[in-house]
Formats: sequence, structure tokens, C-alpha cells
Amino acid sequence: MAEKPMWEQIGSGFVQHYYQQFDTDRVKLSDLYTDASCLTWEGEGFQGKNAIMTKLSSLPFQSIQHSITAQDHHPTPDSCVMSMVMGQLKADQDQVMGFQQVFLLKNVDNKWVCTNDMFRLALHNFGA
Amino acid sequence: MGDKPIWEQIGSSFVQHYYQLFDTDRTQLGSIYVSICLSVLSTLMQGHWQKSSLPFTKIAHSITAQDHQPTPDSCILSMVVGQLKADDDPIMGFHQSFILKNINEAWVCTNDMFRLALHNFG
Repeated sequence: MAEKPMWEQIGSGFVQHYYQQFDTDRVKLSDLYTDASCLTWEGEGFQGKNAIMTKLSSLPFQSIQHSITAQDHHPTPDSCVMSMVMGQLKADQDQVMGFQQVFLLKNVDNKWVCTNDMFRLALHNFGA
Repeated sequence: MGDKPIWEQIGSSFVQHYYQLFDTDRTQLGSIYVSICLSVLSTLMQGHWQKSSLPFTKIAHSITAQDHQPTPDSCILSMVVGQLKADDDPIMGFHQSFILKNINEAWVCTNDMFRLALHNFG
């Protein structure tokens, strides 16, 4: 079986680590972000590691579980890795909901960090 | 009301233009890609890719939400959540993400990822 391309290894490694940390102790996610990172969470923007961690730590649930349905990874022109994740999550006793998340990863000082992160629940207003 | 940041203006214009082209005449999408890295339903293909080979006659996309961010290398990352209807099929949710780069003063799409929001329940 052929080896996965490098960007897939980096992307899938990051994704696995991210959701594992998120679901067990999301305070530890701070290692993945820098002062130059941006997070857009349900349409709201946060700039820099501190603001991002304040937002993630203050999310209003006790327990959370993510389940990844699919993930895709690309190399970008500027040697970053773009990862898109589609999955489902369950927070506390709420019903299972679909979500989408995109990450841009950059190698800074020999470490892959997340410079861009966007999250949305897959909720649509079913219109007429 | 303040002006939207530049990356939001560029990102949202691109998204509007992309889906308008896609829904009316997708053979014209070629012009927005350059050395693309495209994955659709996990098929990764590098190079120009003919979206005209998708198996439907008509398609309509409806955007539920879109987010845009500037990246460290002066690109724009855009994420779209929406719904689409192809021919007489039922409406389905989709997720799409783009990276836009300014090349020779034109914003082109260097990365495009698309997935239908289908989960295996159970």
C-alpha cells in the first residue's frame, strides 16, 4: 500500500490530535495556536492565542464528543496544509449536530501550528 | 456601519461569483483556477479539472453561511456552508472551502474542497 502524501499525514495527525484534546481537555489546545492565529467560531472572530483560548475555554458545555465523518487535506501554494473536516458532535445531553471545520496549518520553527481555524454547526434555515 | 475588512470583501465576492457561474454555466469556472489542488468527494486531482463532467444537468446552490479570514501568506481562506439541489434530487447540505491567492493582480482559487453533508448515522 502506497504511503500517504506528507500533507495528508500532517493534516490527519493534526486533526486527530485536535479533536482528542478538544474532547478531553481543551485547555491544552493552546499549544496549537500562536499570536498570529485567527479563529472564526460560528461567525464570530477571535485573533491571537489568548483570545482563542478564552473563547474555547468558555464554551458552555461540560462534555463534548466529536465524531469525524470525513476529512480532506491539501498542500497550499505557500507550503501550508489546508484541512477540512466534516463530522458530528454531541455536547452534554443535546442532540447530535453536524459541524464543519477548516484549519490552515503552517510550519513555524519546525512545529506545525494552526494559523487559521473556522468552525460552524451545520444548521440551515429551511426556507419556503 | 464600518467597511468590511478587505479579505471579507474579496472572499464574499469570489463566493458569489463562483456559485453564480457554477449554477448557470460551470464550463466557465476554468478561469478562476490556477494549478488547482481540488478534492471532490475525496478524489484528489491536480491540474485543471473540468467541472462540466459532474453528473447533473441543472444545479442551484443556496449559501447558508460564509466565513473569510486572511492567512499569514496574504491569501484568503473562505468556508461556505449551504444547500444545493441538483436536477430533481432532494435538497442536500454541502460544505466547501477555498483558498484564494493574488496572482498577477487577479484573485484566483488555488485550493477548493467540496463535500456533501452526508453522515453515516449509527
